[in-house]
Amino acid sequence: MVRCAGDPPYLILDSVIQLNHLTKRYGDTLAVDDLSFTVEPGHVTGFLGPNGAGKSTTMRLILGLDTPTSGEALVDGRPYTTMRRPMAQVGALLDAGAVHGGRTAYNHLLCLARTNDIGERRVAEVLDLVGLTGVARRRVGGFSLGMRQRLGIAAALLGDPRVLMFDEPVNGLDPDGVRWIRDLMRSLAAEGRTVLLSSHLMSEMALTADRIVIMGRGKLIAEATVEELTTRYPTLEDAYLALTAGSVQFGAAR
Amino acid sequence: MRAVVSSEWLKLRSVASTYYALGVAGLMVVLGVVWSVYVSGLADARGSVRAAAPEEGFLPLVQISLAVIGVLAVTAEHATGMIRTSLTVVPARGVLLFAKTAVVTAVTFAAATAVIMTTYAASRLVAGERRLGFNESSFAENVPTLLASALSVTVLAVVGLGLGAAIRSTAGALVSVVSLLFVLPGIANYLPAPWNTRIAALMLPNLTPQLTGERLSRRLGDGILPPWAALLALLAYAAVALGAGLYVLSKRDA
Repeated sequence: MVRCAGDPPYLILDSVIQLNHLTKRYGDTLAVDDLSFTVEPGHVTGFLGPNGAGKSTTMRLILGLDTPTSGEALVDGRPYTTMRRPMAQVGALLDAGAVHGGRTAYNHLLCLARTNDIGERRVAEVLDLVGLTGVARRRVGGFSLGMRQRLGIAAALLGDPRVLMFDEPVNGLDPDGVRWIRDLMRSLAAEGRTVLLSSHLMSEMALTADRIVIMGRGKLIAEATVEELTTRYPTLEDAYLALTAGSVQFGAAR
Repeated sequence: MRAVVSSEWLKLRSVASTYYALGVAGLMVVLGVVWSVYVSGLADARGSVRAAAPEEGFLPLVQISLAVIGVLAVTAEHATGMIRTSLTVVPARGVLLFAKTAVVTAVTFAAATAVIMTTYAASRLVAGERRLGFNESSFAENVPTLLASALSVTVLAVVGLGLGAAIRSTAGALVSVVSLLFVLPGIANYLPAPWNTRIAALMLPNLTPQLTGERLSRRLGDGILPPWAALLALLAYAAVALGAGLYVLSKRDA
């Protein structure tokens, strides 16, 4: 079944991301409008929506970077900002560019690791995992977008968290990297972790995600499994275009 | 807290700007030696001179260059977006700002003390037995002034950190620091008496002489604050700037 906006959210479980009537207003703009949904463990949940739909804002609200105007975002049943060592619970990559370009990859990760008492051995492990060991002593300023994405994923994995959020991690990656991310996301979910993944690449999302949440103009448009959507529509892309048809704010006429 | 301080310490050590700022502060030693050689030459020609002490005359160089360390400790994070990564791993914003304050305080006090003491020693070595004015009192008599100078450098760096967190812009915070150090005291000088001395006595650079009971300048005469009040006023600058920084950091979306 396709759960639509207005229906009650799913059951409360461990290591879930739960949004209850989450609302964020910037001046006159309602970026997130009474958003309620739950992201459960064991799946890759694809987070879709047109540009400006409020996906990134929603992720920032979950991480406590922005304060909701009303409603709440909970991880494991508590607000993110109350966590003392959040890296062991939640890992997130929101913006691969949000690093100091003058720092080496190794020092960048070690700066983050130290805040949560994570040791140097784990830093070396995640560098190895994302394939950046060879450039660990190079400054991040010289990295390509793909390398920065890998560095951001390494940072998200540092604390071995149960909940992971990635905002457009595939951007800038080469075909090898795209497949690597797909396999990584699926293996993280198979280990029982909660994975929330946003992307605009529908074919990639169809291969990676099990469940889909679609947002438009700050509101929830649909919540369904990939299977349900591809049964009702020829492809995930067709499903996405049909469901978001009324919510596109920036784009050519179609 | 210890974990976050250790992370901030690594952040400071792992960027080149810190070393450039320390290098510029270290130029005081070179300038101090050049000055001492110059006035020694004058003294050899005339018998004796009354020259200003280089560790006091060149103090603004150290104040500005080390204030840059305080400013960049936070504004570099805003400029690169690193602040969002930092607040994701340390959601307690007060803890993050406190850790930055601790590290900036320790580093700038240690650096200022080292540079000022080295300049003091080098200039007295160059002066030898000549009578240059500044070298005619004992080290024990000079220690309070030397420590007061190092303290003023530290306070200015912490003020830079607090204003940086409040203004979120490197340029804006640096202009504010320069205003506190040069522009406002300059304006105070030209107020009608007795307000020039009264207002000037509260200006950041004029608190240093009042800490040790020295006069402000030939033009302004003696200060009006006893040493304990000058110390309180100095600490109040740091507290107000940090308070403003903490308020903005806590209340506004990152």
